[in-house]
Amino acid sequence: MQTENILDTEFKKYKSSADFVAFKTIHEHTRDLSVRNGKPDDISSFDDQGLLIEIMRDGHIGYGATCEMTSDGIKSAFSKALQMTEASQKKSVHKFTDHIRPPSRGEFISARQKPLDQISTAEIYDFLKKTSQKLKSSDQIITAASDAMVIECDQRYLSSNGADFHQNFNIIVNSLSSTAQSGSETQTRSLHGGRGNCLQIGAEHFNLDVALRDCETISHEAIELLSAENCPTETCDLILAPDQMLLQIHESIGHPLELDRILGDERNFAGWSFVQPADFGKLQYGHPMMNVIFDPTVSNEMASFKFDEIGNPAEKKYLIQNGILKAGLGSLESQARSGLSGVANARSSSWNRAPIDRMANINLEGGDLTLEEMISKVSRGVIMFANRSWSIDDYRRKFQFGCEYGKLIENGKLTKTLKNPNYRSVTIPFWNSLAGLTKPNTVETYGSPYCGKGEPSQIIRVGHSSPYALFKNIEVFGG
Amino acid sequence: MDKSYLKKFSENIFKQLTADEDLGLFLHSEDSLFLRFNGSKVRQNTTVSQHELTLTYQTNHKVINMAFNLTLDLDSDLNTATKKIAQARIDLPLTDESPKFVEMTNNGQSETYKKIERPQDSEIPKIISDLFSDSDLAGLWCSGPLRRASINSKGQFHYFESDYFFFDYSLYNGPKAAKGFYSDEIFNHDKFTAKANDTKNKLSLLQKPTVSVPRGQYRVYLEPMAVAEILGTMSWGALSQASYNQGRAPLKKLKENELSLSEKFTLLENFNLGLSPLFNAIGEISKPEIMLIQNGKLENFLTSTATAKEYTLISNQASSGESPRSPEVRAGTLNQNEILKKLGTGLYLSNLHYINWSDLQTARMTGMTRFACFWVENGEIVGPINDLRFDETIYKIFGEGLIDFSNEQEIFVDTSTYMKRSIGALKVPGALIENFNFVL
Ligand SMILES: [Zn+2]
Repeated sequence: MQTENILDTEFKKYKSSADFVAFKTIHEHTRDLSVRNGKPDDISSFDDQGLLIEIMRDGHIGYGATCEMTSDGIKSAFSKALQMTEASQKKSVHKFTDHIRPPSRGEFISARQKPLDQISTAEIYDFLKKTSQKLKSSDQIITAASDAMVIECDQRYLSSNGADFHQNFNIIVNSLSSTAQSGSETQTRSLHGGRGNCLQIGAEHFNLDVALRDCETISHEAIELLSAENCPTETCDLILAPDQMLLQIHESIGHPLELDRILGDERNFAGWSFVQPADFGKLQYGHPMMNVIFDPTVSNEMASFKFDEIGNPAEKKYLIQNGILKAGLGSLESQARSGLSGVANARSSSWNRAPIDRMANINLEGGDLTLEEMISKVSRGVIMFANRSWSIDDYRRKFQFGCEYGKLIENGKLTKTLKNPNYRSVTIPFWNSLAGLTKPNTVETYGSPYCGKGEPSQIIRVGHSSPYALFKNIEVFGG
Repeated sequence: MDKSYLKKFSENIFKQLTADEDLGLFLHSEDSLFLRFNGSKVRQNTTVSQHELTLTYQTNHKVINMAFNLTLDLDSDLNTATKKIAQARIDLPLTDESPKFVEMTNNGQSETYKKIERPQDSEIPKIISDLFSDSDLAGLWCSGPLRRASINSKGQFHYFESDYFFFDYSLYNGPKAAKGFYSDEIFNHDKFTAKANDTKNKLSLLQKPTVSVPRGQYRVYLEPMAVAEILGTMSWGALSQASYNQGRAPLKKLKENELSLSEKFTLLENFNLGLSPLFNAIGEISKPEIMLIQNGKLENFLTSTATAKEYTLISNQASSGESPRSPEVRAGTLNQNEILKKLGTGLYLSNLHYINWSDLQTARMTGMTRFACFWVENGEIVGPINDLRFDETIYKIFGEGLIDFSNEQEIFVDTSTYMKRSIGALKVPGALIENFNFVL
């Protein structure tokens, strides 16, 4: 049966069966291809299709999910969800009104020139094979890997209070990496870190000329790292490139600002937050040059949309303005529970999970320096590129991150290449040590397909754009 | 979803194959209840029926995997599968032969069913909310049948169905927290209550004033759950043959006999734990025990048949990802009641959190202490600590720093629910370790 037809006809049967009912269908087609050393490593695809039912009973919302997209399947899913929602509403965390499900109507189609259904699997394979071959520039490269996830996602939402919207996403996650080995030394260099290179975009993304130039740089730098010095262990200035800033923003701004964490929902799994409700409007999160926005309205970034998954219209909002914490990442439900302001960020990983508070695009705005000017301000420091390791505590305070590639800065100039560059710090002192941002025209956009959270657990796609950033007196160390 | 549906589906779909084509079917199916709690009340209830089928289509040394969700309408599902096979016939000739191509074979037939006793789904919100009405609880109840099947056009048919439940939770007194866990073959209210009381008591131990411990090297005791976290991170590539060959090899120096682990460290894949299916996605049945590290020496990496093919090695029927499915770390000699005395002065750590390789090539990992963690002096608990970050190598943790493992092990069922429920278990003891490095 076709998803569209069944959604409309089946929804009519159930929409008056509770205080509020909504049906959301997701149909996501993913092609995931990996080519290693010029040969196929994995060629796979997944048609993930199913229905999420939302039922409100006495102010409590419960969920039922099924991939059995038939009248019988939906009947069974609805009755199970209704039974559990009845049982749960007697012991519910919060009594909501239906204001948390706005009657939004409209459509979103992510920006693209050539829709992804117009590129064949063989064409994607060919791009990966050529780039993988280019990545293996010498015998020292033991693994030359070129991967792409090509995702077409279609989402529709209907609710008993009049919502009816449709969103269609085209997404590419493309990674290129070379692993070089000599004796006991092994080093990996990739295009902007593991899976950082991701966008909402069409098949025009697969530009072979550009990619082959990237491959040349990556494989050259992987070999360069084999004979590089270890990053020194000292406290000095630190410049982070946008492909590491994405992770820094994600872990030490995005997660601690999620209102469901602050409300304690995540305490048993992802963790709590050092941020307290009273901090909003007051906390000096970072240096006054720091401006961070929640913005699902930008074109092509990984987590752009018109509505979140409960129909809240997306708007750009300052989370941190001039260094002061302004707003959290809380959906209409978290806003109702906490009395705090929030954003349109109720999102779920697919049809089989309930929406929770999520990041979308969380971006750091540019400053006033060129990269050369920023480097020239540093008498001794390290610049680090491309994330490879991450860990932060459950309150999002003490972090330790590692990168693929570094350069020593001495007397305002880049000197030696450094392997195994790492740094560690604590969130609020770290952001208050911010001492420079490069100009808006240097901002680069990355993201992640794999932000994990929630019980049951969910992954979600996020976007992060950032300029280069300079931090003073940070503990750096090597391998 | 049941076995007979798969029988009908597979018989029909295999008829469509030509002589030079093979098709494998791998099913993950679950009918799950998830109840998410906060403040000892229900935050979200979700029931999920999910039946994911992966078609592995092979011809001329080429292979493609195509997954989709079964609707359980036979005509509709056969139609979807037929279209996918037609598409594969177009796409696959335009790619190359796979260096790790494995000819499909008949790995036999089996059926396993596991049943448990548990309360009705609709009773769970009240049972948990009432038992913890005096506490601030956050956590997840998960229950329901999970099914796995591996079938192929050579006649293979393995089917596994297991109903199980777990309740994974923590209790809070402000920022102080203690972890609890309950899973069993028969849900027993008295047992559940006793375990809940243990966790409540643990939380009350945290009432003492917090001790601020500066960074540095300390003697530590890791409870089994903390050891399980470290093993979880090791499972992420460190025990995989393909990772070793492809340059992601934390245990390279162990493999090449440049470094060794403690004689007290023995790690094996032990399917006798009986909590995971014996067959992998392509239906191979593993030996009941595979020794991975014996008395500190690497015996075997987990090697899938695909990896064995590519590098001309011998397979031990590992899963395609070459992660352990049922690992066990052997017990030591440390008595439960002498742990604090043997620890003497140092850190008693119940849990670790967010561990990641900080330098994969030297097997160094970083992570945080979490939940009930104490400073101990002369065998006496002084008080809970502020969380600390560690950064330490496996060669220290299970090597030169390892004093002993506890003589009792604990079994943890896999609680991972990313995209779908995972299945499996691990069995580990606690560990007493010296000179454990804390950096922040
Ligand atoms: Zn995340």
